[in-house]
Amino acid sequence: MLRAEGLHKRYRHGPPVLAGVDLALEPGAPVVLAGANGSGKSTLLRILAGCSAPTSGRVLGRPRVVGYLPDRFPAQLRMPADVYLRHLAQIRGVGVDTGLLETLGFTGRRGEPMARLSKGNAQKVGLAQALGCGAGLVVLDEPWAGLDVDAAEVLVELLTGVDAALLVTDHTGRAARIPGARHLALESGVVSERHSRSLGVSESAARSPEAGAAGASAGAGERAARSPGRSESAVRSAETAPIPAVRVVVLRCADPAGLAAALGVVGRVDGHRLVLDVAGSDVDGLLLAALQRGGSVESVR
Amino acid sequence: MTAVAVARYLLSDAWRSQRVIIPVVLQIAVLAVLFGGDPGPLPTPWAASILALYPVSAWLALTLANTEDPVQRSVTVAAAGGPGPVAAGTLLVAVAGDLLLTLLSVAWPLVATHYTVPPGVLVGALLAHLAAGLTGTAVGFLCARPLVQRIGWSLLIALVVVIATAVQPWLPPVGSSVSAIEAGGHPGSLLVPVLVALVLAVVATAVSSTVARRG
Repeated sequence: MLRAEGLHKRYRHGPPVLAGVDLALEPGAPVVLAGANGSGKSTLLRILAGCSAPTSGRVLGRPRVVGYLPDRFPAQLRMPADVYLRHLAQIRGVGVDTGLLETLGFTGRRGEPMARLSKGNAQKVGLAQALGCGAGLVVLDEPWAGLDVDAAEVLVELLTGVDAALLVTDHTGRAARIPGARHLALESGVVSERHSRSLGVSESAARSPEAGAAGASAGAGERAARSPGRSESAVRSAETAPIPAVRVVVLRCADPAGLAAALGVVGRVDGHRLVLDVAGSDVDGLLLAALQRGGSVESVR
Repeated sequence: MTAVAVARYLLSDAWRSQRVIIPVVLQIAVLAVLFGGDPGPLPTPWAASILALYPVSAWLALTLANTEDPVQRSVTVAAAGGPGPVAAGTLLVAVAGDLLLTLLSVAWPLVATHYTVPPGVLVGALLAHLAAGLTGTAVGFLCARPLVQRIGWSLLIALVVVIATAVQPWLPPVGSSVSAIEAGGHPGSLLVPVLVALVLAVVATAVSSTVARRG
């Protein structure tokens, strides 16, 4: 599992871009990162991919093979696509996946310098180098940029099947269709959960002492609801996340355990009910997410 | 091994960009003019080819370090697992270039003129050229991205550094190499310049890698 702890980044003569980002990424739990233009998403992705070091903080457990697609994959490469992919595979020490370009619907000529490719075809080469290397960590900055509709659909399917730790930024809305994805937002230099804070991502604010007690009640319920992959991060935040005021939310649906897993939260399952302890500030986001996933709200206390 | 794979990739990219050809052609032109007529007995004429190799290798290193566009570089760095192997791969290509130009510069007068030298002086000439080449590599790396972003500033700074350091006969590695060649070219007198030049090249690579990591 890749863990980022307390990442700060400040460029020379500039304001801080990242101001304490904590993030855990693990295989099978894709993360979609949202944020306004210039909010520091690309900077965070570069740090996680190992291209640059944070001003302070650290990244632990980065796998040996990383697939990284930068925002605006360079279209001015002099090499042909095949030669480029072969060289990058050799740098990573892995075999070449020549089929991926076809899967993505690459229509350029493989022996031609990449500078002559269309933007979409160049983007497909960028995707092929990032996704075709068997990476343990895949970091994609706006991967849908420049893709045609067919390729965009294929990419959703490809990302659904990725068994590596996956972090994606997206402005097209297509990333929302990656099943089981956690949706995070980068704002004012910190990452927060978009609908619930009771996950492995939290602001590195001061931990309040009562958070432990509140979290314990959330964790005391049935734990079968969450997928095994999420357990560690969920437990970590249940023990440490600051929860200013806890509300008890009761949701109704046919499959409460599945709903809890889809929301990425820990709760008690009681028949067709799912009982959650939620931080007051997160209630609105959680209810919206639950409604979008077919749950109905019984009560909020 | 990653550095070797990076070196092969950079070589392939640099070859396609054709920008590395200019410094190589420049050195060949200098050698052709220098050893074309009667340069006089060796090893003294090599002093001029050593002085030429210094800026040429700086130019070569600068070109190699700037071959990749910064975004393309970030993909390579992520693939290689960090800026370290990429900087090391760049150093490998630059050193290979230095060796090639060194061999060419030393062999040229032996083939083109009737002068010969004893094996000891031949080794001395190789070491002296290598010292100039490695120092040029160090200067080139320190004037290239990510330390200096604009190519105009890169050329200006490199030119000033090369001119300022090449003309000091006491200053290792280039100035002292030239003096040693003019004094007969004994290999023993060139070991220190080569070692200093090697250290400079490695340190410049490390600095470049560290700055890249911070960027």
